Amino acid sequence: MVLSRLKGAGPAVARQGLLIAFIVFMIGFGLVSERFLSLDNIASVLRQSTIIGVMALGVTIVVIGGNLDLSVGSMLSFSTVLVVDLHDKVGPEIGIPMMFAATLTLGAINGFLVGVMRLNSLIVTLGMLSAIQGLILIYSGGQNVDISNQSGTWFRVFGRESFMNIAVPIWIFLSLALILHLIMSYTPFGRRVFAVGGNPTASVFSGIKRSRVVFTTYMISAFCVGVAALILGSRVMGSQNTVGQGYELLVLAAVILGGTSLLGGAGNILKTVIGVLMLGFIQNGLLLMGQPYYTQWLVTWIVIILAVWLDVAAKRGKLFSPIA
Amino acid sequence: MQTSFTAGPLRWLKANPIWGFVVLIFIFFSVAADNFFAVNNFTNILLQSSTIGLIALGMTLVMLNGNIDLSVGATLALAASVAVDMQGWEVFADWGSWAILPAVLSALLVGVLMGAINGFIVWKTGVDAFIVTLGAMLGIRGIVFIYTQEQSFYAADFAYSDFGMSSVGPIPTLAFIFLAFTLFVHLLLTRTVHGRNTYAVGGNREAAINAGIKVGPHMLVNFMIVGFFAALAGVSLSTQMGAATPNLGREYELWTITAVVLGGTKLTGGVGSIVGTLGGVLAIGIMRNGMNLMQVSGFYVLVILGTILITVLILDKQFNRRTNEELRL
Amino acid sequence: MTKPRIGTLTATAALMAGLAAPAAADTVRIGITQNDVGVDSYQTTYEQAFIDAAEERDDVETIVLDAGGDVALQINQMQDLIQQQVDAIIVWPTDGTALVPAVRNAHRQDIPVIVTNSNIAEEGMEFIAAFSGPDNIQQGASAAELMCEGLDGEGEIVQITGQPGYTTAIERQRGFEDELAEICPGIEIIATQPGDWNRERAQSVMEDFLTQYDHIDGVYAGDDNMGVGALNAAKDAGRAEGMVFVGATNFAVGYDAMAEGEYYGSIYQSPVDDARAALQTALDVLAGEDVPKLNYFETPKIDQSNMDEFDRPVF
Repeated sequence: MVLSRLKGAGPAVARQGLLIAFIVFMIGFGLVSERFLSLDNIASVLRQSTIIGVMALGVTIVVIGGNLDLSVGSMLSFSTVLVVDLHDKVGPEIGIPMMFAATLTLGAINGFLVGVMRLNSLIVTLGMLSAIQGLILIYSGGQNVDISNQSGTWFRVFGRESFMNIAVPIWIFLSLALILHLIMSYTPFGRRVFAVGGNPTASVFSGIKRSRVVFTTYMISAFCVGVAALILGSRVMGSQNTVGQGYELLVLAAVILGGTSLLGGAGNILKTVIGVLMLGFIQNGLLLMGQPYYTQWLVTWIVIILAVWLDVAAKRGKLFSPIA
Repeated sequence: MQTSFTAGPLRWLKANPIWGFVVLIFIFFSVAADNFFAVNNFTNILLQSSTIGLIALGMTLVMLNGNIDLSVGATLALAASVAVDMQGWEVFADWGSWAILPAVLSALLVGVLMGAINGFIVWKTGVDAFIVTLGAMLGIRGIVFIYTQEQSFYAADFAYSDFGMSSVGPIPTLAFIFLAFTLFVHLLLTRTVHGRNTYAVGGNREAAINAGIKVGPHMLVNFMIVGFFAALAGVSLSTQMGAATPNLGREYELWTITAVVLGGTKLTGGVGSIVGTLGGVLAIGIMRNGMNLMQVSGFYVLVILGTILITVLILDKQFNRRTNEELRL
Repeated sequence: MTKPRIGTLTATAALMAGLAAPAAADTVRIGITQNDVGVDSYQTTYEQAFIDAAEERDDVETIVLDAGGDVALQINQMQDLIQQQVDAIIVWPTDGTALVPAVRNAHRQDIPVIVTNSNIAEEGMEFIAAFSGPDNIQQGASAAELMCEGLDGEGEIVQITGQPGYTTAIERQRGFEDELAEICPGIEIIATQPGDWNRERAQSVMEDFLTQYDHIDGVYAGDDNMGVGALNAAKDAGRAEGMVFVGATNFAVGYDAMAEGEYYGSIYQSPVDDARAALQTALDVLAGEDVPKLNYFETPKIDQSNMDEFDRPVF
């Protein structure tokens, strides 16, 4: 565990590589489009990034614990449809806790299957992806849900209001990132997640209850999805049943860009935030340059490979892999 | 790993539990669904499974190496677009139906090339294949959209789609191609040096290096193979449709991986077989077909498929307690 | 892939069939393969309306399938319907171009194909019996008229289109752009981006437009779901005042926003009419009537001034 943290701290370049890449990248776009670095634009990209961002925080912790969570996309559809639908049926005061209860139940199922039953997380969450999408379609009968009184509900606070001139979702995203970062860095629980992800066998011998730790990481991930659903539902004031489709891989891309290793045991919440912002700014920057939307996919490919390569290369001290 | 049919059916079944499951759902749907038990429907299942099946053959090799390829769906779309678009090029205007030949060959070549790019990056940078191919999944889809300009293509020469609907005896040609390649890859894995190396690299990379296997080029070759099969699946699908669309093959990577894992291949590499993969492919094909015949609503199909996937995983765990070691990427 | 069981008719139903439909004493079997039920309310409502309409008639058996947006699956479903020798196939194409060979195949087996909602590509027209649905080019043109009225012929607007590659999206865009250039040369479309029929996506696209352009007079969206997303973005940026929003396929949210005076206008299109028209066209074809190739059901303009004449959409 100490070893993995040392590796994470690594050479200075490894630690700063992503940040440097991010700054270079921002300046590059800034030179091409004068609007890119305007406060308005930055605020708008930040706000758009919060939904994927909040989900990425939870997934980062799951991945540090040595597992994957591919179910977050359809879980987002599930939670958003639920919270919007319950808003008009029982009111937000009861609807929000009910949505969280349902979402956390799904997280608990993931956590039980992966943590306690020790099943492969990729396949379990893939199965859950399919099952949850079906559940929400059955629940809604395939109909869109809408909030009827959009201007008169306090529910709008999560997605559409501002506090001190900064949009509330940005506050939520950044403060959640800070809290989770502190938990991961300074609490026994955080250390256990790193330990379980870094070396599961050794961590068991050192008396850590692996199943409980993994279970908790999935609960955190589900909680984050619930928060993202609040923002999304409040922002749109309605939901389609497939609103989160495909998000799981975008979220994972953001986590990977942030340098979290899929092998587990290494990663950093704050770097995930940078990864999320990079994805958001790539999309926005290319749009401002007038490029068609699909060029962002090509650019994202190159950026992901370069960013992770530099990260990996800095850690091993060699640019190319030693594989023959 | 390798299984022999002579080792007794029980032991064979223990090594390939997915086939037990295939028999089970086969019996279930034969009783429960009216039109299920018919030769016509069996060939139908084979045909419909062949797309995922072809990709799964290549994916098995890559996963035996301990790698993975998430970009196969995008590669499939790229190959399909190239195959359909190119046969309409001016250059081939005088070629008649022969224009299909260079088009299909180019499509397969593009697939191999995409695989080579993935394999080369994995080899040289040492970045995890999951990450490399997740990036490629987005990037290659971007290439598809740039190439097609968001348009669908359609094969003006109906010979192309007629081939997709043709049969060899009672078996649809495309299903026949799938079965032939299944046998081919099975032999490749069990009878050749490359096959032995595939298991060795995934099972114990250190030992493989010490044994003198050039791990990098070896993995590169397997990525090229999966690229080839993704492209072949794309060509096969586009002959069924006589057309190609830029959104073709979305989420196919997830279903392919599901089929391979159901077939008993471990994500850590080193363990798995083509016999198992074929079982996994058929299991998914039979379930989809059977539920459709029973008119199960699409909403419920999603729930049932997800649940069965997890259930099979649990049962597999119960049967094979020895594989209690950590399964991680 | 799909050869579902056919619900058998009871003896009484069969008897009544003779009364209900004098033209066809036998029952007809009609298979339908839809685009992507569950992805939005229009398609979900369409499916229910189609089933209801078929159940009202005792001389019709239906096999209702859904392609889930997957072209390959839809082609499989077409083949299965052909194999089952249904009397007619209704198809809501997931892709107008890619469906051509499958439709041709049905045509060769003498099974009439009726295309519903979103038309097949030009090359496939010779193989279909009829198209039934909205005239999306006309809808785009009507939206251009609304935009022209709303802006008094002058201004700079942005456009948010539907799913790329989808015929409905392409036709609405074409109809809008052509008509606008013709009747309203004073209005300029300064940017176009796809919103994928998704409200959240459209909201993000609009936010980017608002950052990019200091001055936007109007927004044309490929449907109201996206139009309301754009409206949300403009409201949040405090720039909705005086901006003209025009959509298509009037959704309940669009209708409500119109009632609030925030949304200028849209095109009224009922999935119930759409479904019923498709079934009726199929029955007319089977009855041997001389059915025109293109059967458009009426999709009138709706705006703040005439919205009282329309019921609030159920979706």
